[in-house]
Amino acid sequence: MIVRVKNLVKRYGELLALDHLSFTVNDGEVFGLLGPNGSGKTTAINCILSLLEYDKGEVEIFGRPMRPDAYDIKREIGIVMQNVAVYNELTVYENIDYFCGLYVEDKKLRKRLVEEAINFVGLKDFKGYYPKKLSGGLLRRLNIACGIAHKPKLIILDEPTVAVDPQSRYKILEGILELNRLGATVIYTSHYMEEVEQICSRIMIIDKGRAIATGTKDELKAMITLGEKITVESQHITPGQLNRLRALPHVMEAEYKNKQLVIKSGKGANNLEAVLDFIKKEKIQYGKIYSELPTLNDVFLEITGKQLRD
Amino acid sequence: MQVFKLCLRVLKKNIPSLLIYVVIFLAISLIMALAHTNEQEDALFSPSKSNIAFLSAEETPLVRGLKEELGKVANFVELPDDAEALQDALFFREVSYILRVPEGFSERFMNGEQVQLEKTIVPDSFSNAYLDLKIDQYLNSARLYVEQIEDLSQESLVQYLKSDLSADTPVELKTNGVKAADHVYTNYYFNYLAYSMLAVLILGTSALMLVYHDQDLQRRNACSPLSPGSFNRQFFLAILVFTGLTWFLMVIFCFLFNFKNLVNINAVFFVANSFVFAVCAAGISFLVGNMVKSESSIPAVCNVLTLGLAFISGVFVPAELLGSSVLKVASFTPTYWYVAANNRIAALASFNYASLQPVFSAMLIQAGFALAFIAIALVLGKKRRLE
Repeated sequence: MIVRVKNLVKRYGELLALDHLSFTVNDGEVFGLLGPNGSGKTTAINCILSLLEYDKGEVEIFGRPMRPDAYDIKREIGIVMQNVAVYNELTVYENIDYFCGLYVEDKKLRKRLVEEAINFVGLKDFKGYYPKKLSGGLLRRLNIACGIAHKPKLIILDEPTVAVDPQSRYKILEGILELNRLGATVIYTSHYMEEVEQICSRIMIIDKGRAIATGTKDELKAMITLGEKITVESQHITPGQLNRLRALPHVMEAEYKNKQLVIKSGKGANNLEAVLDFIKKEKIQYGKIYSELPTLNDVFLEITGKQLRD
Repeated sequence: MQVFKLCLRVLKKNIPSLLIYVVIFLAISLIMALAHTNEQEDALFSPSKSNIAFLSAEETPLVRGLKEELGKVANFVELPDDAEALQDALFFREVSYILRVPEGFSERFMNGEQVQLEKTIVPDSFSNAYLDLKIDQYLNSARLYVEQIEDLSQESLVQYLKSDLSADTPVELKTNGVKAADHVYTNYYFNYLAYSMLAVLILGTSALMLVYHDQDLQRRNACSPLSPGSFNRQFFLAILVFTGLTWFLMVIFCFLFNFKNLVNINAVFFVANSFVFAVCAAGISFLVGNMVKSESSIPAVCNVLTLGLAFISGVFVPAELLGSSVLKVASFTPTYWYVAANNRIAALASFNYASLQPVFSAMLIQAGFALAFIAIALVLGKKRRLE
């Protein structure tokens, strides 16, 4: 076990930011902390890193209690903050060298590590650039390079893809998976469920400072009753047809809005076939029809009653 | 020493803007110091001649001798002996002095009688005092000869007077046997240093403090295995090194251009005083750096502070020309005490306790200011970190 968080409580005055939060992160996994903005993800990370004092609870990293002066533990952690934290007065190379130098004293080794980090994030052509000259995506990559250059065992990435273009986002996510393949354990926080689904081996959904579900993405999806979401684009559906549709077996919910018929079905086989038979029988004209498996947003919606991006 | 190197890199990035200030400040310092030096040289004594109308009712050797002697300190203007013309000449300042020798003056003078010359002058004209002195000197000397030598002719008297009055007494000023150095330039240079050095230190230190107080960077650094103590030590070491280098560069610059006047004890005190002020300036810069919140506000704060302190403390305008209330306010600033110490050092001729005591007092006050600024800055800095 790399990280163990037990009953973490953090208050900001009257606001309970973390409510007895507990979880563990195992060696070699990419652990995702998924939750809407303000759910307590960053607070949890700050408490884990001892950047914030917490009211109650325990944090252990590498089996040792984490404290502000636990420098031997900090040496093995790489952190990529939500806000880009680089020096505008230093070039790309100098920034990575500076942050790497806080962990690695050997100059030769550091030079090699910095070069590797630059190549890893694809900033080879921008070594001499100052941060102000970089695009948002390149800046995020620099932020990551500064966090991982010293080859840490545990990498914590706090929303590293906020305001990043799709191309850079893809590179960043690929890079995180590569780091994991190279042996690093990763804690990844985001409110983008697609990203978390894509790269995390285990996910904890967090809301109002509480862990509401933890597991692999399949385990999380298995927790809810929704089995399939079928969408039919149709010009006209009568209220009678809608009622008859709702009466079909496995149909949990059917709604017609903006010329789209959305049918939520429970777990079971042949849901799509049953809907197609119904459409044929009712002679409903349709343009497109497609089926989707539940997402983490559906999981969140079913557990909390609100959208992940509310 | 990652943090120390980081600070040097931050300063290096700011070198162009700092250098612009250094070069401009030093150039202005030099030009102004040189200008003041020239002014000072011009202010040394050089004889000037007043315009005088010499009206004599007789042409005797004594009168001619007097006129010849006055010719050394006056320009004679020919005017008609007409009351209105003479009044106009005085009014329009064609002449500032009208001397009239009455009929029978020489004869009565030679007989030892009390006689008087008539003079009409521009009221309150100080240049006439010199003419009065010259006339008194001539006639008093003549009176001595007339009283001591019987049957003295006017021609002989004039010869004696000419010989006596042409004698000069050379005067040499010596200060404890040491050749007096010219401290005027040095004094002005070190006074202007209060402006330039403070400006450069505020700009550099504020740039560093902005980096230091960046919350994201602070948190990022706090995640590293570097202890806050080590981080702070390296940071403050960088500020000290920057202060030392700035001070050294600016003092050395003065030595390069004014070496011959700096090989004396006064120079040691000038340098020592500037060092104490540099420490104080570092304290001010540290305080300003803890207060500014954006890069764009640094030059504005720097200009207001440095120019304000320089103006009220006698850096640009001599303290003698400033009002007492201004000086009273200025005495609550370290620049005032720095300039006061410099002015005292420039006037130092002997180096005993009594003459040095005011200099040391001014230095101590500056050191006190430095401690106060650093203490306030530390409190503000801590408050800002906790926000």
